[in-house]
Amino acid sequence: MGGDLDSFNQLVLRWERPIYALAYRVIGREEDARDVAQETFLRAFRALKGFKGQAKFSSWLYRITLNLCRDWIRRERRTPVVQAPEGVDVIELAGEETPSETVEELVSRHELGRAVAKAMSQLPEEQRTAIILKEYHGLTFQEIADLLDCPLSTVKTRLYQGLTVLRKQLREAGVESTFGK
Amino acid sequence: MTGRTPAGRIDMCDSKELLVSFLYDEIDPVAKRDFQKHLSTCVECRDELAELGATRAQIATWTPPDADLGFRIIREAESPKRRWFQWSPAWGFAAAAVVLLSISAAIANLHVSYGSEGLTVRTGWNHATETQPGVTAVDWKAKAQELDRRVLDLERAQSQQSVVPTASASDLSEQRVREIVGQSETRQQRLVSARLAEMMREYDAQRRLDLVAIGQGMTRLQNSSGADLKQTKDLLQRYLVRTALEEKEEK
Repeated sequence: MGGDLDSFNQLVLRWERPIYALAYRVIGREEDARDVAQETFLRAFRALKGFKGQAKFSSWLYRITLNLCRDWIRRERRTPVVQAPEGVDVIELAGEETPSETVEELVSRHELGRAVAKAMSQLPEEQRTAIILKEYHGLTFQEIADLLDCPLSTVKTRLYQGLTVLRKQLREAGVESTFGK
Repeated sequence: MTGRTPAGRIDMCDSKELLVSFLYDEIDPVAKRDFQKHLSTCVECRDELAELGATRAQIATWTPPDADLGFRIIREAESPKRRWFQWSPAWGFAAAAVVLLSISAAIANLHVSYGSEGLTVRTGWNHATETQPGVTAVDWKAKAQELDRRVLDLERAQSQQSVVPTASASDLSEQRVREIVGQSETRQQRLVSARLAEMMREYDAQRRLDLVAIGQGMTRLQNSSGADLKQTKDLLQRYLVRTALEEKEEK
């Protein structure tokens, strides 16, 4: 695979969305997340000869992305922000409506998404990263532990603490839980 | 907390790692069976598990905004001294075209005048453009926008043509990948050549207009310079005559 530009571009095509999504959820800014994703692929390509396949290619990309995100957070010296529109454009949303979902449900889902984004941005970085990798990228506890260079038990603790804080914040934000209904 | 079997139950309730493992179903079968047994008797753990499950369902609704990605790494073949990589060369061409058009537009608006304030040379868009006889007014800003739009369309069309199904690269045969990329490169080269030829034609036409505008400006400058010299000469002549008369009267 070393240096094979065409093959590498196929991998870029396959992984650009997940990598962008990871960067966006960690740093919370669309434009910067795009830059981080682009830089990830550039760095990966430059370091391709050093990639011996000892880890999964996706894990390798995730590691580069997380390092870049960490650099970004340190450089900017700030916590992630949520760039979510204030209002919800019902007409625009109506275009996304699926046969099984009414416009009201769609609006409610978008509002919930915004509340989640806000709550996530308030979590400590390590808890947020663990939840993102688990919930949105489906990594195993062990894969997360390898990526974050921490013990398995720490990953579980971060997930538990993060979810508990999120549950509390969402409740305070007035988001109804379906639990108990 | 009534009816507990003290040791085992407290351990289960306190072990959040166990709860998380069960929540994500990453738990060995024996521990899973034990925890299920514990859940059947512990309301607190059952409620907590259900609430964390509900929170998981809520956070699943957060999706990142759509972004125009389409990253691609391209090797420059012509000049080894240049940077090895670049993102989307079509944007480079578009930017070059915009710069070229802006410079041309600035030159086209060259205004030379010679008046009471002396020689004045003005360029750019900060003054009203005079319509030159024989020169066609061209909306270069609109042209630049149209050019941008066309480059975008070309890029979009190309990316649509070169989309590969979501299967991973390893699923594609190398031969097929090379064919697709080869076709894509040929298409891109053809498009870029056509755009370059068009740009050169436009540049040449603009250059001719500029030369006409500069020629006319220079003619105006020469005419106004001649008239001004004549006026100065007349004034000097009148001054000399008046001075001579005054000297004569004094004598």
